[in-house]
Amino acid sequence: MSHLLEVKNLDVKFDTDEGRITAVENISLSLDQGKVLGIVGESGSGKSVTAKAIMQLNPGNTNYNDDAEIILDNENVLRFTSKDDLKKIRGGKVSMIFQEPMASFAPAIKIGAQMVEQLLIHKDINKNEAKEISINMLQRVGIADAEKRFNQYAFELSGGMRQRAMIAMALSTMPKLLLADEPTTALDVTIQAQVINLIKDIIQEYQMGVIFITHDLGVIAQIADDVAVMYLGSVVEKGPVNKILKNPKHPYTKGLLEALPDVNNLDAPLRPIPGNIPSPLDRPSACVFRTRCPNPCDNCREGKTEMGLMEVEPGHWVDQCCINCG
Amino acid sequence: MINFVQFTFTRAFLAIVTLLIVCFIVFSLMELVPGTCAERYLAFKNTQGSQITYEDIEAEKIRLGLDKPFLYRYGKWISDIVINQDFGDSCILRMNINELLSGRFTLSLTICLVALIFSYLIAIPVGIISATTKYASLDNTLKFVSYLGIALPNFLVALCIMLFMTIYYGDTMTGLFSQEYENEPWSSAKLMDFLGRAWLPIFVLGWNATAFALQTVRALMLDENDKLYVMAARARGVSGMSLLWRYPAKHSLGPVINSIGFDLNRIFSALPIVALILILTEAGALLIEALARSNDQQLAGAIIFLLTATIVFVNFVTDIILAIMDPRIRKGVMGGG
Repeated sequence: MSHLLEVKNLDVKFDTDEGRITAVENISLSLDQGKVLGIVGESGSGKSVTAKAIMQLNPGNTNYNDDAEIILDNENVLRFTSKDDLKKIRGGKVSMIFQEPMASFAPAIKIGAQMVEQLLIHKDINKNEAKEISINMLQRVGIADAEKRFNQYAFELSGGMRQRAMIAMALSTMPKLLLADEPTTALDVTIQAQVINLIKDIIQEYQMGVIFITHDLGVIAQIADDVAVMYLGSVVEKGPVNKILKNPKHPYTKGLLEALPDVNNLDAPLRPIPGNIPSPLDRPSACVFRTRCPNPCDNCREGKTEMGLMEVEPGHWVDQCCINCG
Repeated sequence: MINFVQFTFTRAFLAIVTLLIVCFIVFSLMELVPGTCAERYLAFKNTQGSQITYEDIEAEKIRLGLDKPFLYRYGKWISDIVINQDFGDSCILRMNINELLSGRFTLSLTICLVALIFSYLIAIPVGIISATTKYASLDNTLKFVSYLGIALPNFLVALCIMLFMTIYYGDTMTGLFSQEYENEPWSSAKLMDFLGRAWLPIFVLGWNATAFALQTVRALMLDENDKLYVMAARARGVSGMSLLWRYPAKHSLGPVINSIGFDLNRIFSALPIVALILILTEAGALLIEALARSNDQQLAGAIIFLLTATIVFVNFVTDIILAIMDPRIRKGVMGGG
C-alpha cells in the first residue's frame, strides 16, 4: 500500500540578505492514513518549515531542491502552481492548526464567517449548508452553544475553546492530512490533555493522517505512533514511538529524554543538552550535531563523516555518524 | 442595537465636552495675553493720531463688557456661539466675525477636506499594493515619490508650480479666482474658474498628506501581513484579492481611520503657508494674521473654535466608523453587546 504522505530528500533553503540559509536538509518521512507522526525538536530545527512545505506556505524567498518530492495521494505537491492545485493542499486535502489559536483567527471576522468561507472555497455547497456543517463541527469538538459561538469573534472565546474551534475549522473540509503545529503549547495542562484526547478521537473517527509537531516528548508519548527527531534541519532519528522513547540511539534524542524531569527522583538535577543550537548561518558541515556531540570521534569532529540514516532495528533509523563513532 | 445607540450618544456627549474644554482653554489663553481688546484698539487708534485718555479706555471696556468677570464672559462667548451662532466682533477690524469668516472658513475647510479625501483615496489602495507587491521597483518608485512628498516643504512645491505656470501659461495661479470672477456671485462659470485654480493648493497639500498616509498604510499592511491569522487564512485556501482585502487590509484600516482627524489638523496647519504664497483668501491665513500680527483674540478664538469643532466632529464620525468596522472596539466599549 502506498503511503498517504511521503517526503523524499527534501531540502528547504531561504535566500536572505546574509546569504542562503539551510532550514531543512535531506529529510525523508512517510505517514500512513490513520497514523500520527510526531516531529520533535528545538526551535529552529525545521519542524514548522517542513510542515509548511507540504502546504507551500513558506515565504517567497524559499528554495526547494529539484529532486525533492512531497507525494500526497500520488501527487507531488511541490510541483503545484495553479490556484486549483494549491487549494487542494491548502484547506482541502490538508489542514493545519497552529500554536496560537487566538492569533490564527482573524480578530475582526466572526468565527462562523471564517469557517463558512473555507467550506465555500472547497465544497460545492451553499451558505446555509456550510453554516450547518460548521455548527455541527463545533458541536463535534465539544463546544457547547455552538450556534452562539458561530456568531462570535475569537476574542470572545476562552483559550481552550479557541483551539477547539480551530480544530473544528480544520476538520470541516474533511482533510486527509492534518498538520498540527504545536497545537497544545500555548494551552494550560488540563486543556492540553482535553485537546490531545480530542485529536485522538478525531483520528479514530475520520481516519486521517496527522503530523504532530511539538518540542514536548510527553505529548509525543501520548499521541504519536511514529516519531522523527529533528536537529538543525536534519532528521537524526526516527521510528516507532515506543522504540525511540525506550531505546534511543542518537545522543540528541537521549539528551532530550534526559532533560525531562524524573518523576521518581525530583531532586535530581535536570541535565540539559550542553551547548547551544548553532545559528543556521553557520550550520556545521557534515554531521550537524558534532558541535554538541558528547563523544564525537576524530573523523566526525573534523567534519569528515557524512550524515545518513541507517536502520538499527526494524523501522528504527538513526543517523550513522553516532553509530560509526561508537 | 440599543448598545450601539448608547455608544453613539456617549461618544457625541464626550465630543461636546471635549469641544467645551478646548474652547475654555482657548478662551483662557486669550486672556493670558497682556492687555485687553479695548486697550489694544485704542492703542491702535493712538497710532493713527487720536488722543486717548484713561477714561476712553474705561468706557471702551464697559462697552465691550470687559469689566465683567472671566467666567461670565466665557459663558457669554460660548452661549452666543452655541445659541445665536454669533462669534461677536473682531477686536481690531471692528467687523462682525460671522461676516468676516463667511465663505472663508468654508473655503479653507473645502480645500482641506478635498485634499484629505484625495490623499486617502490614493494612499489606501496604493499603500496596500505597495506593501504586497512582488515588484520591488514599483514599491521603490512609490516610496521615492512619497518620501519626496514628505521631504519637500509645501511652500517650495507651491513656488515651483507657480514658476512653471508663469513661464508656460503666463498665469501665476495665485488667488482662488481669476480677476473677473473675484467679486462676482457664485455661478457655474465661477465654479469652473475656482476648480481650475483650487487644484493647486489641493495638490500641494494633498501630496504631502498622501505621502504621510501612504507610509502609514504601507507600514500597517506590512505589519498585518506577517501575522499568523493571514498565514492561517492562506492555509485554508483563501487567496488573491479576497485574502488581501478581508484579512490584512481590513485589519490595518482601523489605525488609518483613526488618523483622519489628526491628518485634517495637520493639513489645516499647513494651509496658511501655502495660502500666503498663493495669496488665497481663506481662514488659515486670517488665523495667522489674527494670532501673530494683530493679536485679535476674538477672531483667532472663533477660527480655532470652528477648527476644533470640525476636528472633534471628524473624530466622532471616525469613532463610529471604527466601532462598526471592528468588533473588538464595539464590544469592548459597549460591554459585550
